[in-house]
Amino acid sequence: MDVELTEIVEALCQHAPFNEIADDPSLKDMVKEVEIQYVRTGEWIIERGTLNNTLFFIRSGAVEVLNKNGKLIRRMNEGELFGYGSLLRGGKSSQSMRAIEDSLFYRIPARWFLKLYEESDTFSDFFELDRETRLKAAMNSQTSDVSLMTCPIKSLLRRDPIGIDVGESIRQAAQMMTEHRVSSLLIMENEQLVGIVTDRDLRTRAVAEGLAYDTPIKAIMTKNPTVMDSGDYAAEAVLKMMELNIHHIPIVKDHKTIGVLSTGDIIQKESHGSIYLISDILKQTDVDGLKAISRKMTHTFTQLVVADANTQMIGNAMSHIGTAFVKRLLQLGEEQFGKPPVPYCFIALGSQAREEQTIKTDQDNAIILSNRYDPEKHGQYFEQLSHWVCQGLDQCGYPLCTGDVMASNTLWRQPLSVWKNYFSEWIQEPKAEALLHLSIFFDLRGIYGDKLLANELNKHIRQEAKNNSGFLSYMARNANQRKPPLGFFRQFVLDGEGKQSRTFNLKERGIAPIIDIVRVHALACGSDKLNTIERIADIEAAKLLPDGRAKDLALALEMIGMVRISSQKDQIENGEEPTNHVNPERLSSFEKRHLRDAFHIVSRQQEFIKFRYAGKRS
Amino acid sequence: MPKQLMQFMKTKPETTLPQDWQAMFRDWAKEAPEGPLKRYYEAGTIPMDTPLKDVPMLALDLETTGLDSHTDEIISVGSVPMDHRIIRCNGSGYWMAKPECSLNPESVTIHEITHTELEEAPPLHHIFENILETLSNKVVVVHCVAIERQFLLEAALKIYGFPLYFPVLDTMDIERRYHTKLPWWKQILGKKPSLRLDACRQYYHLPRYKAHHALTDALSSAELLQAQIAYHMDATNDPISKYWL
Repeated sequence: MDVELTEIVEALCQHAPFNEIADDPSLKDMVKEVEIQYVRTGEWIIERGTLNNTLFFIRSGAVEVLNKNGKLIRRMNEGELFGYGSLLRGGKSSQSMRAIEDSLFYRIPARWFLKLYEESDTFSDFFELDRETRLKAAMNSQTSDVSLMTCPIKSLLRRDPIGIDVGESIRQAAQMMTEHRVSSLLIMENEQLVGIVTDRDLRTRAVAEGLAYDTPIKAIMTKNPTVMDSGDYAAEAVLKMMELNIHHIPIVKDHKTIGVLSTGDIIQKESHGSIYLISDILKQTDVDGLKAISRKMTHTFTQLVVADANTQMIGNAMSHIGTAFVKRLLQLGEEQFGKPPVPYCFIALGSQAREEQTIKTDQDNAIILSNRYDPEKHGQYFEQLSHWVCQGLDQCGYPLCTGDVMASNTLWRQPLSVWKNYFSEWIQEPKAEALLHLSIFFDLRGIYGDKLLANELNKHIRQEAKNNSGFLSYMARNANQRKPPLGFFRQFVLDGEGKQSRTFNLKERGIAPIIDIVRVHALACGSDKLNTIERIADIEAAKLLPDGRAKDLALALEMIGMVRISSQKDQIENGEEPTNHVNPERLSSFEKRHLRDAFHIVSRQQEFIKFRYAGKRS
Repeated sequence: MPKQLMQFMKTKPETTLPQDWQAMFRDWAKEAPEGPLKRYYEAGTIPMDTPLKDVPMLALDLETTGLDSHTDEIISVGSVPMDHRIIRCNGSGYWMAKPECSLNPESVTIHEITHTELEEAPPLHHIFENILETLSNKVVVVHCVAIERQFLLEAALKIYGFPLYFPVLDTMDIERRYHTKLPWWKQILGKKPSLRLDACRQYYHLPRYKAHHALTDALSSAELLQAQIAYHMDATNDPISKYWL
């Protein structure tokens, strides 16, 4: 007699992890031993401290999980599983489960659960108790092998390097480039790389300048060009090219030049408009031109997302693009209002400073003026210049900051000495209002002008923070203000207090809390980095956190960040305005599950800094 | 034909009085011809004062060629053992039986059982002993007692020359009882609630199943009974006689 409980098999196989092992013949045998149980709303299914020998599958209804203090941990609905924690430990349940709706459960006996757990990796991976490991595995499975992120530069090199001795003439160089059909030539001296010449150099530095053809190539080469290692990722090369606005990078291996990577090579690999976008920005001669380019930005953004770029790379690209707009606007401003009367540095704040910008963010910026600044004499110039830039940015899709944290605000356009006083005051006597400023101002990067001014201010900030330990505890408390959600329940976002809402802000509730946590640790270990991932590397090196915990933060950030950018991409494609709000209905169960893990990491690390930097109120 | 039993069935009162199935089984065990059916009655059934929580049950569903127990035949049987709290797939049973008359094309589309499958199945009398063993000592759970009990009674008469009759918890009957407990004005004004299996399940937020597979339908009524017990009954104090038919 063949008894087929198709109804049960089908129900199980609609959900992970059973869908992964639907072909496993033992699944049918397992189902024969399933028990079914109906439980009314409000009844306990597992009580804490009792022995559990069953894996519960929610066929219909919903369940709430409470910890030992009766605090809500999560809510589950159709298709979810519980009870496996105690099965894996072979012991008593550490949590309580209660039906919050009339529910029907399929009860899978412990021995079947353990058998599948033992025999199937896909099955056991699902129950991996360590959230961090689970998140990591999930992130790995998401990256495709062909993306720029995982592809080393050497795989993109198409030919051996073409070089010429430094003593040869421009004509010989041009002939050689024609012969080999290359757009760049390495300049060698005693087998050492000393320079590079490109098509563009021949055009602008030789022909346009009317140099004689027998002029040594040395005269027009770019000396000591930036090189990269053949093992570096292509993505890093892209960032370097964007940062320096160059199109060719010599690639070395064991100190030997083995080729040249050009933008063409990368475009071969993937269409990658962002490099050209930056060159285009820097070529524009008026605001209208810049405005026209800014309309292409959403396209560049979606292209990057489609190309599987990670959030770090997208943040970097968007920030470099943003910086290019600022640069070009300031150059145009200086053409219009004249050379600056005293040195100044235009600084980016917040996400742009951290090189973590996404699509369409408000502008947050300021100006540090030289201490020689005299408001009487120079005030008008900088007022004009800063208004020009901020208005220009507004037109290019970077809306004015609602909090008025912009260079056009006199408060935030001050000489270095005043800036130093600002920070000393904020750090020595932190007040609630000061803290609001700090989270923006603490991430500060000079992007145009005399960057030494920005560097000096950053040094001052780190020094002050180091000398005022009470300040860190303020920052730690500040980093605890925005709590991540507990997880999801059906189409709702679930909060710790059991509150449910339709949407939530991924930036406010997920990304910002991580950035805040990392900033506190970064200040504590004296890191001079601004980028969150780079800060995490410093924190890890300083051994400020238990092993692996720093990396967990990076994982959580990447997970939440990925969801944000892919949801923004979807919004753009649907013709909507990209926002930081996410509706759980639009999330896949994969995303929900791993977001919950990421949130869990964030709240645990929030708890940690509270106690790690617990200090007296100064 | 045992007169007492036929008499009992004819005069069965409309309102259900507590019935002593144990005593009735004792009588029929004496009258039944030697064989599987006699053994079935001899195995007996539980005392009428057994509390619900101690009642061994078996959810049962038949698929038939039609609705008339005189002319139509059983083509499949599904069963799942259970108690007031747990349904055990482990003891579930499923049989197909080849009908003696040819199959009505209409009913084929309802049951999703093909002619080929039935052609290969044994005739009902070959598997009836197995079915009796499965039913033994259990209170049968069905949705709508009239169909299942009547078809099995006729089948046993045909095979053994003696009827099969057993205690039943009818989820439709139970549902009717609790629906008629509504206040009179609701009974008059309200839409008459459907007592179909699928509709009853929805009252208790049970999931939708594909109907018309004997085993799935048996599971369906098993789950429905659990929900009804959870909602309306006192498994510790209510005796089985309050509910069985």
